[in-house]
Amino acid sequence: MNLNEELKKIIVKDLFLEDITWDQIEDDAPLFGEGLGLDSLDAVELVVIIQKHFNVEIKDMDEGRVAFQSINSLASFIRERQTS
Amino acid sequence: MGIFISGVGVVGAFGSGIGDLKACLERGAAPLITQGPGPVYRADTSRLEAFVPKKSLRRIDHFSQMAILGAFLALQDAGSPSLAAGRTGLIVCSGYGASQTTFSFLDSVINDGDACASPTLFSNSVHNSAAGHISILLKLGGPCLTVSQFGVSVPSSLLTARQWLHEGRADQVLFGAVDEYCDVLGYCWSRFFGEDDMGIMTPLSQERQSAVPGEGAAFFLLSKDKQEKSGYGAVVDIRTGRLEGEAADFPGGEAIYFLGADGHKDCDRLYRDMTPSGIDAACYSPLYGSLPVGTAFDMAIAALSIHEGKIFASPESVAGQERYRIIKEPSAMAPESIVCLKLAKKDEYGLITLKHG
Amino acid sequence: MNRSAPVAITGIGCLSAAGMSLGENMASLFSGRRRAAPPVRFSSSHPCPYPVFEIPEDALSNNAPENKSVSRTCRLGLAAAIEAMKDAGLEAGQFAGLKAGVCIGTTVGSAMNNEEFYRDYRSGMHPDMITIERFLQGNPASVIAREFGLTGPCQTVVNACSSGTDAIGIGASWIRSGMCDMVIAGGADELCRVTYNGFISLMITDDLPCRPFDRDRKGLNLGEGAAILILESDRAVMKRKTHIRAFVLGYGSACDGYHLTAPSPDGRGLTKALADALKESGKAAGDIAFINTHGTATKDNDRTEIKVLREMLPHVPFVSTKGYTGHTLGAAGAIEAAFTIACLEAGMIPANAGFILTDPELGAAPVVENTRIAKKTALSDSLAFGGHNGALVLGIEGV
Repeated sequence: MNLNEELKKIIVKDLFLEDITWDQIEDDAPLFGEGLGLDSLDAVELVVIIQKHFNVEIKDMDEGRVAFQSINSLASFIRERQTS
Repeated sequence: MGIFISGVGVVGAFGSGIGDLKACLERGAAPLITQGPGPVYRADTSRLEAFVPKKSLRRIDHFSQMAILGAFLALQDAGSPSLAAGRTGLIVCSGYGASQTTFSFLDSVINDGDACASPTLFSNSVHNSAAGHISILLKLGGPCLTVSQFGVSVPSSLLTARQWLHEGRADQVLFGAVDEYCDVLGYCWSRFFGEDDMGIMTPLSQERQSAVPGEGAAFFLLSKDKQEKSGYGAVVDIRTGRLEGEAADFPGGEAIYFLGADGHKDCDRLYRDMTPSGIDAACYSPLYGSLPVGTAFDMAIAALSIHEGKIFASPESVAGQERYRIIKEPSAMAPESIVCLKLAKKDEYGLITLKHG
Repeated sequence: MNRSAPVAITGIGCLSAAGMSLGENMASLFSGRRRAAPPVRFSSSHPCPYPVFEIPEDALSNNAPENKSVSRTCRLGLAAAIEAMKDAGLEAGQFAGLKAGVCIGTTVGSAMNNEEFYRDYRSGMHPDMITIERFLQGNPASVIAREFGLTGPCQTVVNACSSGTDAIGIGASWIRSGMCDMVIAGGADELCRVTYNGFISLMITDDLPCRPFDRDRKGLNLGEGAAILILESDRAVMKRKTHIRAFVLGYGSACDGYHLTAPSPDGRGLTKALADALKESGKAAGDIAFINTHGTATKDNDRTEIKVLREMLPHVPFVSTKGYTGHTLGAAGAIEAAFTIACLEAGMIPANAGFILTDPELGAAPVVENTRIAKKTALSDSLAFGGHNGALVLGIEGV
């Protein structure tokens, strides 16, 4: 399972997204606002999710804002932090 | 300073909605399930999807879902009136709050460390989360309150509902009570009381610890103005406080008592000690179980009794006939007034009197 | 919202990290002294030790001897109540013939969240049930009522961060309605790992001492404490011939209906709560000496709160005292009401601890030094999770 797929499955499960399956999430679609409709509470939950599953820390929401733009941006953020 | 009831919404082991409550009263029994150490009266919230899209319930726990369902059912029962956002108050009371979510939050800390504590679970674990969700879903903007006073949560917070209406702080108050079952509660039950797989509640029996944990929600739409259509009558007296050795000054006369005894031996004894003997009384806790906000169900049954012009029979297993005239046959008389009485350890009491409006 | 009669406040008690009495607290505030440090009573595994405003155990033991049968929250509440009763010249046993109730705000004090018990339970051990018994006997309003032998209504308000404000507002309404001659009203909350971890998980805590309204603020620090106001009816005041310290002039409560953890950006709930409180008091913006703000130092709270205050009370000085006490959750509204009265009495408000630089987005700054005030009325407001907002108008005119 590649990282994008893993992230999509984790997001659907851990954020209790009822009306979408993981394979319906596009790699480049915005996660917040219009896209998946996630909000500020989901954002901080996502920080914990990333910490728990990938042991990658997001220090503040300025970092988070960049990482959470899409599945692609989140995956590349994680890869970058895991290799450094 | 009376307050009138225009709608009632209930969720419990008996089902959801005033119709299910009435059917259960007529049947005299509610379904039990076995969970963990013993039997439990559990509430099902699947009917909530008729009111709120599933997507909007995504992060909302069972505790809040019961409350939300109770609130929507009360509004539906009241004929779905429009709620002037800034003029509708909201009060939710609970004995134990969102206890399952509190423990789920602790799970997130214990399982994965302090840095993996779940913010979603934390924000839903605070006692006022149910009121928060209801205010968001109903787009309310008036005064808002959550109260936790264990067994007298209902009369205590009802005092504030009455205050708001009479001070002009709100034109209507959506008032409700909710408590949930969770495995830790079941565990504590078994430690305190041992395990009882019979599941037959015999409230007012002095010798037997027979309480079965229950959960659910009961909501009411209240106003200062008489409600001709609903026929639920009015709350005409609310009292709560502590009894410190003195004899309680509870109403006598023509009142029928709905006793909040729920099979906890020590509390049930208080009713024997504190209430006048020979009164006409009913007890319905075997239909919804033992929970701190049980009085709200008695209040719903009282409102329904006034509406129907009759007193429903108490379930067969209710004891207390040596002291009271326990109503065991449905009686077609129109009750003059109904006093919902709750006595809570150690020394707290709550009394809510309803009368035809 | 109708205009209402003032309700007398005859005694005040207050403890926090800034002091073990109202006097000690005010001395800290006016000397600009504050002490935030990593928690001592509990530990955590966060790489960064977020500071808190903790009451040292030896200081608390002087005021409220260790008592394993009540929670720390109840100990704090009792200590504040004892100071308030003494201030009001009241002793237990003086309540015969008076209807007396208790209304207390809390968060931790009503939560069954004992981590030690739950860890043991989860691991299959059979923990001592004393923790549960303590919880079941530990409703803060009931504990205080029992301590002083009061038999009137008890109500524990669990409205998150506006609980203390709401409890005082509700207590005042019990007096006005004639339901009570006296109400012990206030709030109490202890620090604990659950709220510590919870607020950190929401990423709204600062790893430095908090900076309310500052351009570079990063969030709140938690604190603990309690404050109690003794409210009395005219009948009780005349009967006891007691002195009055201040009045509750007005109270407002309103919800945003917006989000569980973030305030509505338009501040609609706070606007209404402030408007209702002012309307009930019969006062206008021009009568207000200052505002004791909620001012937690989170980005969202301070932004929303200042937006509303600039619109409703544009030239009124404001301060957050959370720079001295931390955010004491259910106690905050009560502690801040106590501070508000003490400031009116002193004719002075303290500097806003932690503030250095104006945030251009806020376009307003709190007072940066001890500032004289002449008017006799002030506002104290609270914004809570769930979108609840509470406001009190307090005054010393006519005491």
